[in-house]
Amino acid sequence: MVEPIEGPDRDTEQQPDAERIRVMVVDDHPVWRDGLKADLERMGAAIVVSEAADGGEAIDRARDAMPEVILMDLRLPIVDGVEATRRIVEESPHVQVLVVSASGEEADVLEAVKAGAAGYLLKSATAEEITDAVRRIHAGEPVFTPSLAGLVLAEFRRVAGKEPTEPVLTARENEILKLVAKGYSYREIAGKLFISVKTVQNHVQNILTKLQLRRRYELMRYAIHKGLDRAPEPEP
Amino acid sequence: MDVIPPQVERARRTLWAGLLVFRWVSFAWFAANAILSELTFRYGPLPWIALALTGAWTLWLSVPPENQERPETPWIDLLIAVGLIVISGLVVPPGEVIGETPFFAVSYPVCAALLWGAARGFRGGIAAGTVLSVALVFSRPVNGIPLRDLSHGQVFGLVNGVVYFLAAGAATGVFSLLFARWSEQFRELAASAFHASERAARLAGRESMGRAIHDSVLQSLALVHKRARELAKGPMVPSDQVLELATMARDQEHALRALIMREPEEPPVGAASLRDRIEAMVGSVQEMPVTLSAVGPVWLSAAHVETIAAAVEQALDNVVRHSQATQAVVFADVEDNWVIVSVRDNGRGFIYDERDLREAGKAGLLKSMKGRVEDLGGRMRVKTAPGVGTEVEFRVPYDRAEASFGGGTGG
Repeated sequence: MVEPIEGPDRDTEQQPDAERIRVMVVDDHPVWRDGLKADLERMGAAIVVSEAADGGEAIDRARDAMPEVILMDLRLPIVDGVEATRRIVEESPHVQVLVVSASGEEADVLEAVKAGAAGYLLKSATAEEITDAVRRIHAGEPVFTPSLAGLVLAEFRRVAGKEPTEPVLTARENEILKLVAKGYSYREIAGKLFISVKTVQNHVQNILTKLQLRRRYELMRYAIHKGLDRAPEPEP
Repeated sequence: MDVIPPQVERARRTLWAGLLVFRWVSFAWFAANAILSELTFRYGPLPWIALALTGAWTLWLSVPPENQERPETPWIDLLIAVGLIVISGLVVPPGEVIGETPFFAVSYPVCAALLWGAARGFRGGIAAGTVLSVALVFSRPVNGIPLRDLSHGQVFGLVNGVVYFLAAGAATGVFSLLFARWSEQFRELAASAFHASERAARLAGRESMGRAIHDSVLQSLALVHKRARELAKGPMVPSDQVLELATMARDQEHALRALIMREPEEPPVGAASLRDRIEAMVGSVQEMPVTLSAVGPVWLSAAHVETIAAAVEQALDNVVRHSQATQAVVFADVEDNWVIVSVRDNGRGFIYDERDLREAGKAGLLKSMKGRVEDLGGRMRVKTAPGVGTEVEFRVPYDRAEASFGGGTGG
């Protein structure tokens, strides 16, 4: 169900509603939600199909509204953004979660990315940057900030080499991640390494996948450590 | 979903392995008895078929041993056990009674009672024991001896057998009951230990956070509050005083955020975090957003941190003044025994030529930055071209930086 949009700007390019990216906004501040919604719809590429004020609501409404992209705040009451991201991505893997959070929350953003979020943007980003990020993430391109790239690097170094089966970064992935951390765009990295932008994107996607795999390994290690890995005998 | 703790699981496996051993010993005895006993020869192929069938069944249960725990196993086993008991009535010479001549299947039928107890618990064991007892009693009439004609000794022998079967089923039944209860206790214990440690950690974290907030953030907020009220009383508010308030509020915002967001890290003795130092610095750049991306806290000696931070500050200063950039990123990392710090902007870039720069009178800053890192045994590199922004990279040997805060050996 698509609601009519009031008063679209004449000078921005409007796409028919059916072609717009279906977005859901999750934030506990109504003012922020309204602002984000207005920004996104004014830019013409997206339509806000649902809103939620906490993680539990987000999980429920994502089921009904079927958004393609979810803009997720992390500090949420009841169920936090990391947990909501995990549950939503588990239920519907095709949904792309873009974390939009205040600065200094990178450690939580890292957790959200490990839980399945495909990108991260600061709340101070402009309407253009947010719209661009929604477009990119909808097209399957991970959206990173340099500081998140630094945290991801640190995460891979933390237990590197201790577990032979644990996914580690290839030399190329390491190189690309370092360039992202230094502030280079995918296009600049592609130029520097003489590869296509698409290849850079694929590498970043692989890095994300490995990061999410590592989370599963962590859970598994925890389970084995606590002896929770044995399934019970089936009841006769 | 219930899970079985590994300790309980080990004990359970031991029980099943024990059952298998008992089964093989019983079968060996059964086979020896059948082969050595002249009785067997008198009754045609029936004893041999029973022996072969029992052997095949025992083998199937052992390879792999998990077959013992399949859902259909107890039923087949019980059927075979009942069959053996009935057959043992048939292969005794008419008029003779088991107990006076050796029992054909010896202890093999007991295995069924044991298995039922282990697989289905106490009730299962007793049920199987009862079925076997009934079969035992009926093996007498099969042998041609009416039950009422049994002597006292023969009845005693029968009761003995019944008790034997019931006790076997009950014994393993009690064990599996114990295992279940044991698992439950393990789970509860593990869960409560987990909750307790989590709670303790949370309380400790809250306490230290509370102290830190009280020490710095609350004091500053009180000051901001007081100063703002004072300013409000005056007719004209000087902009520098408002800016001062804003700065104070911003610093505390950063401090509070660092307290809440970042997990406390235990610094090595005498070390300072380059990340934290640069973080404080980039926050004070007003002209453009400057992002810090660091791979960990980067622990260095305080002197190294100050020198590198001074070089970074100069580089940022240069970006602000000349680059026309809209944003900058400072990157800090330790890899392969090098501390690597880069300052990158998206500005206009330039043609890097030291002689040209010297002639234009712009070499002083570069020389100063270069001098700082070279004092630490490091080097500076500038990557730039018109239109692609600029990256200034400092590399400083890490082992030296680390040695100077006395990582341990040599002093």
